Amino acid sequence: MATPLKRVRGLGAAHRGTETFWRQRMTAIANIPLVIFLILSIVSHIGAPYDEVRAYFAQPVVAVLMLALMISAAIHMRIGLKEIIDDYVQGEGARVIAILLVTFFAAGVGLASVVAILKIGLGS
Amino acid sequence: MVQFTLPKNSKVKKGKAWNPPAQGAPAARYREYRVYRFDPDAGDNPRLDTYWVDMEDCGPMVLDALIWIKNNVDPTLTFRRSCREGVCGSCSMNIAGTNTLACTMHADDARGAIAVYPLPHLPVIKDLVPDMTGFYAQLRAIEPWLKTDSPTPQKEWRQSKEDRDKLDGLYECILCACCSTACPSYWWNGDRYLGPAILLQADRWIEDSRDERTGERLDELDDPFRLYRCHTILNCTKACPKGLNPAAAIASLKRKLVERGE
Amino acid sequence: MAQDATPHDAPPHNAVQVNGRAYPIIDHAYDVVVVGAGGAGLRAVVGCSEAGLRTACITKVFPTRSHTVAAQGGIAAALGNMGPDDWRWHMYDTVKGSDWLGDQDAIEYLCRNAPEAVYELEHWGVPFSRTDDGKILQRAFGGMTTDFGKGQAKRTCAAADRTGHAMLHTMYGQALRHSAEFFIEYFAIDLIMDDEGRCRGVVALSMQDGTLHRFRAHQVILATGGYGRAYFSCTSAHICTGDGNAMVLRAGLPLQDMEFVQFHPTGVYGAGVLITEGARGEGGFLRNAEGDKFMERYAPSAKDLASRDVVSRAITLEIREGRGHGPDKDYVHLHLEHLDSALIEERLPGITESARIFAGVDVKEAPIPVIPTCHYNMGGIPTNMHGEAISPRDGDPDAIVAGLMALGEAACVSVHGANRLGSNSLIDLVVFGRAAAHRCAELIAKGGTIPDLPKGAGEAAVARLDRFRHADGPTPTAELRLRMQKLMQRDCAVFRTKKVLKEGVKAIRAVWDDAADLRVTDRSLIWNSDLIETLEFDNLISQAAVTVEGALAREESRGAHAREDFPKRDDAKWMRHTLSWADYGTHEVRLDYRPVHKFTLSNEVSYIEPKERVY
Repeated sequence: MATPLKRVRGLGAAHRGTETFWRQRMTAIANIPLVIFLILSIVSHIGAPYDEVRAYFAQPVVAVLMLALMISAAIHMRIGLKEIIDDYVQGEGARVIAILLVTFFAAGVGLASVVAILKIGLGS
Repeated sequence: MVQFTLPKNSKVKKGKAWNPPAQGAPAARYREYRVYRFDPDAGDNPRLDTYWVDMEDCGPMVLDALIWIKNNVDPTLTFRRSCREGVCGSCSMNIAGTNTLACTMHADDARGAIAVYPLPHLPVIKDLVPDMTGFYAQLRAIEPWLKTDSPTPQKEWRQSKEDRDKLDGLYECILCACCSTACPSYWWNGDRYLGPAILLQADRWIEDSRDERTGERLDELDDPFRLYRCHTILNCTKACPKGLNPAAAIASLKRKLVERGE
Repeated sequence: MAQDATPHDAPPHNAVQVNGRAYPIIDHAYDVVVVGAGGAGLRAVVGCSEAGLRTACITKVFPTRSHTVAAQGGIAAALGNMGPDDWRWHMYDTVKGSDWLGDQDAIEYLCRNAPEAVYELEHWGVPFSRTDDGKILQRAFGGMTTDFGKGQAKRTCAAADRTGHAMLHTMYGQALRHSAEFFIEYFAIDLIMDDEGRCRGVVALSMQDGTLHRFRAHQVILATGGYGRAYFSCTSAHICTGDGNAMVLRAGLPLQDMEFVQFHPTGVYGAGVLITEGARGEGGFLRNAEGDKFMERYAPSAKDLASRDVVSRAITLEIREGRGHGPDKDYVHLHLEHLDSALIEERLPGITESARIFAGVDVKEAPIPVIPTCHYNMGGIPTNMHGEAISPRDGDPDAIVAGLMALGEAACVSVHGANRLGSNSLIDLVVFGRAAAHRCAELIAKGGTIPDLPKGAGEAAVARLDRFRHADGPTPTAELRLRMQKLMQRDCAVFRTKKVLKEGVKAIRAVWDDAADLRVTDRSLIWNSDLIETLEFDNLISQAAVTVEGALAREESRGAHAREDFPKRDDAKWMRHTLSWADYGTHEVRLDYRPVHKFTLSNEVSYIEPKERVY
């Protein structure tokens, strides 16, 4: 029985959202050259032996770029998935659970990738 | 909140054919209209009734046809209308698949039988009359009035022609809601997302060189739902019967928020 | 769809019994109840709320859909932004425009307060067009002169050609700012009057849920607009049915100067939509089929910017004499092609769109086909300059009806007299809307209790509703309405004669009598537009009746009332206001007269003596 205005005002403005919006744009822009670099790296090593590929990714410059891509992509993915949840998931409970799951998923994928690259880069 | 299943009793059923032209009547003379009907008293499902409008006795616009039907065939057909010249925004509805104003839409611009539905994704009160209460409350929520703190001048606030030009494309909005109800984000989250029409109104006050509360206004929009449900689908700009560009207004809001915070 | 409508004290449902049917009724109490949310209504709502009065606004359409939204050209005020100007010059023009039927004290009040009222709108945020130095842009309009008729004035403040739209949206915002309470899509049925002739409230139907509402208030303000829809071809919106005027007639009160109906010279041929006078103000002109700029013959000095009645008559004569365009030689051309296209885009974007949609014309390439079209009702509910309704009583021609006010096109203050000047109507709305709010603040003690209604209050209104809701005669409303509209167009338009008016009186009376056979098909109370249109028709027909009767009686030509059988103005006999009453039982119309105020408000200007009106 709440008035329409009460419903529209709801809990008030979050006073955030712009940061997320901006971060999504920044990671999107960063991902363009980084993904191109990754593709070029893969294409140029098609058929190459394991040790050569591993040595390639162990180079500091390549490792840094790969780290950047994994972090940027994980953040971008987390933002994108949350957008989809905000758009389509009904009910506050389901929404919170969905957000937890995609956050853990994005963090897991991101961290695992980072550890892998570090392992290759540090040669252990 | 997004809802993928239709509420009970909302499936549109086949309705009545009111005045099929006689056998051998010149087909070009009669234009077929299929109109959404919902009777709140009966509690039945909505239905799609068919009418044939005699174009020799009727004006060129879709609104003329609806009025012709109401006057000559079925007085119970219900729709909003006021100015009939595209400035009041009353007769917005979904015609031949597009949200527009019945009064400025030429029937000739649609092919075949013309389907007429209420604006999508609003509760329907009766026939083509949707409940706009939520939409109006959203307008109120953005506080659509000039806010100043400097001492008010004896005469007018000065405004340069260039500053005044910034309001063009914003102040002309007629609040018909064609854009908002064409926006999938507004369909799914019309309770929390303000929608293109209201965001364009918000930008109208933010762009006004006389308004001194720009920051506060931006604060109130800085929200994952109120503003950032916009995914630049651009249905709004395509739908606007006044040729305005709500998507550009929303982009301008986002740009200002980034400019200030990032 | 009551946006903020929280009843202050809604007692348990009362019910009114009519014909064995019980209608539950919800009661409300306010200091002021404004009926109508156009420019005048909203200005009053803002003023009353600002003054701390509990104010409700009942409106049959969402406020920004009121007909003020269609006002194009601008709002007149002697700001002097484009050159020297003086409110006295504005006053002179208005008096001359009114053909000396306007009350000069009220006209002085209007013109004197106009600049302040416009600045106030600007301070609220109206997006006026600007001059190079950032002031409000003013444009030329018909009948607006400098130095008592010597030059053409630029006095009309404009927001491109969407001034009414800009004002209405801005004022709605202001009303929200002051938390006025709106009852949106509520149709007012009738006034509640008590035995002492005092107005006590109003009864309305909520279209959204079919509930009936009884509002009691210290003051009821009718701002219900004109009744242009009594005519077949008009620039008015479908909602312009003069509901407040008819409520006043049913309350046994008079309307004033109803025979004065303005025809706008430039309605789009066929569609009837308006092309602003501002188009001529920016340099547009009219031409007949012979390529003749005929206004030069009818108004040698003002030409196309002569007063509207003059231009409308000129067009009608040109067409009548066979110099019209088109296969039926029944329209003239309005030319804008010669104007700079940047100027058209900046100042006339709205009519560019209208001409494209409704006439299929690109104004930069081709002329617009136009014809005089019913546009404005100078007549209405007689009021004083505070907006208080008047009904002569005990020899006092200016006696006030307690508790009732009227504003805008619904009212006859009378500042427009026999003919309104373009851009004087928007200023009328805000100046008198503001004046009425000031008056309410003076009259009403804040926080005072609102007296209870007399027993049975509102029953007649509910009975009226019930009667039409269950009307099951043979004639649909649309059929009778069309008959009335065609008759008014034929018998009571730009030129009038005794013979035609006599026929008109008889025929309109016959339509009214036939209303006993009306049929309403929709029996619902929820958004029953069939019923609403029927109530509106019932409102229109009484106004049509007093219009033709008043026109037949007035044997002179003055302003918009042009009698071919009496082509001269007759000040000795006819410089007086017509008052008309209509009996809803017998359908009889009664006329009487009331003197024109031949005095001014202050010593800063003296009474402008009548003289011949040439442009």
